Amino acid sequence: MKLTLHIWRQKSARDKGKFEEHLVDDVSPDMSFLEMLDVLNESLIHQGKEPFAYDHDCREGICGACSLTINGTPHGPEAATTTCQLHMRKFKNGDSIFIEPFRARAFPIIKDLVVDRSAFDRIIQVGGFISVGTNQPQDANALPVSKLKAELAMDAAACIGCGACAAACPNGASMLFVAAKVSQFALLPQGQPERKKRVVAMVEQMEKEGFGGCTNFYECEAVCPKQVSVRFIAMMNRDFLGATLTKE
Amino acid sequence: MSLFNWLKSSILSKVVMALTGVLLVAFVCGHTLGNMLIYLGKEEFNAYAQFLQSLGEILWLIRITLFLALILHIIAAIRVKFLNMASKPVKYQVRRYVKAKLTSRTMLWTGSMVLAFLAYHLLHFTIGVTNPKDFHVYEYYAPHNAYGVLPSGAIAKINEPNSKITQNLLDQFESQASKQVMKRHDVYKMVVLGFKNPWISLCYFIGVILLGFHLNHAIQSMFQTLGINHPKYDKCLRNFSPVLSTIIVICMISIPINILLGLTGGAL
Ligand code: HEM
Ligand code: FES
Repeated sequence: MKLTLHIWRQKSARDKGKFEEHLVDDVSPDMSFLEMLDVLNESLIHQGKEPFAYDHDCREGICGACSLTINGTPHGPEAATTTCQLHMRKFKNGDSIFIEPFRARAFPIIKDLVVDRSAFDRIIQVGGFISVGTNQPQDANALPVSKLKAELAMDAAACIGCGACAAACPNGASMLFVAAKVSQFALLPQGQPERKKRVVAMVEQMEKEGFGGCTNFYECEAVCPKQVSVRFIAMMNRDFLGATLTKE
Repeated sequence: MSLFNWLKSSILSKVVMALTGVLLVAFVCGHTLGNMLIYLGKEEFNAYAQFLQSLGEILWLIRITLFLALILHIIAAIRVKFLNMASKPVKYQVRRYVKAKLTSRTMLWTGSMVLAFLAYHLLHFTIGVTNPKDFHVYEYYAPHNAYGVLPSGAIAKINEPNSKITQNLLDQFESQASKQVMKRHDVYKMVVLGFKNPWISLCYFIGVILLGFHLNHAIQSMFQTLGINHPKYDKCLRNFSPVLSTIIVICMISIPINILLGLTGGAL
């Protein structure tokens, strides 16, 4: 396959950045998107040029490290797929592909296509956990959980924290991420003692980090590689309102 | 917790928008239903308008509540907009939306245009500034079982339809009758005269369709913001939004259409 790539080049957070055009003509449809970029980078290195910086780790679609906004959609055109799992067969010979970093105020660009997503870590640090004693494990059946709630909690827990939600959101809002992390506990008995404190703390941190507010575009749900539903945003809104009104 | 604190939080600002939105949507639905009385004829429509006027203080209470709701709605909308512009300082050079629709991306614009339309609508039909000649129209009407004394001394029931009661007819009766025959705002005539003007009809056409656009996104957004959802009826709530807003639009614009076609109010 022959492709024209327009890749975002930006030296640092302060640099302005621009697209750089590269022609690649030896792309196999079986390559993953990142492998295609690896090949380009290798040839750039051989030519003595600067390779493009981009994030990746597991390349199995489970760690959430890969990012990239491909032709205007975070993680590219294929639904429910991370960039590392996107294959070149989804593109046509001769295509032009625009590759940009994830964009949101809370995700400052470090270099080229790499953004700083540590805002998510700080949101987790203020409440994305449960406090449990580490003594004898409890009997597994001591805390009954309904099937529906167990399944919903699992759906929320599928979030890999990649940041595509905030990247896709025209408001730069990370509500889907925060909602998933709040709901996975709010739905289960273990999450109850810290439920109110958690939702208030995480939402406040989210706003402190400079993420926007949800206006229900549902663009996040559309690009989420794990198909986390915006239903959890509604649940978080409900929890947050309740917690605000009744917080001690 | 004060309103000011609420507006600091994006989620609570949206809650303010949603709660005020509930009031505004309820009003729009009630207004639509009320307007449909025009199809029952002049008598019923004018009696309904008169009933609303007769509410007195209650009417003012409703008006003030709706006005405050609208103001809060707008303040919260602008607040959220500023917050969100700051959160996405650099836009994508290439952008492809998957689920964001024209309606959801233009809420502030459709909202602002609805506001402009609302101002015009109030000036036109409520305050009577834009077309005072069409506004100051009145009709005589007889409450049920009104009796009059004819000059001959006989007692007669005024059972003519209201549209036939004229000053001439009243002159035939003694004073007792004219007391029972009263004057009220002829809202029906005002509306028909107004919509006979195609330009005015066009304004309402555009205004109502913009409101429909706004509500198409707004109604389901309201449920989402307030956290009203459950796997069982999620879909139903989402679909409710376009259905209700389409019904509202069709009902509302049917009035100028029917009047322009002469199907309603032809005889006046
Ligand atoms: C009859 C008048 C109006 C009605 C019935 C109405 C109704 C609604 C409702 C129900 C919502 C959903 C709230 C939510 O998402 O939680 C909404 C959202 C919104 N309204 Fe209005 N509205 C009206 C007028 C206006 C005006 C005059 C403005 C102008 C500034 C405006 C701007 C907005 C904006 C920007 C949203 C945000 C949408 C979102 O975040 O999802 N609206 N409206
Ligand atoms: S690299 Fe781990 S999810 Fe893509």
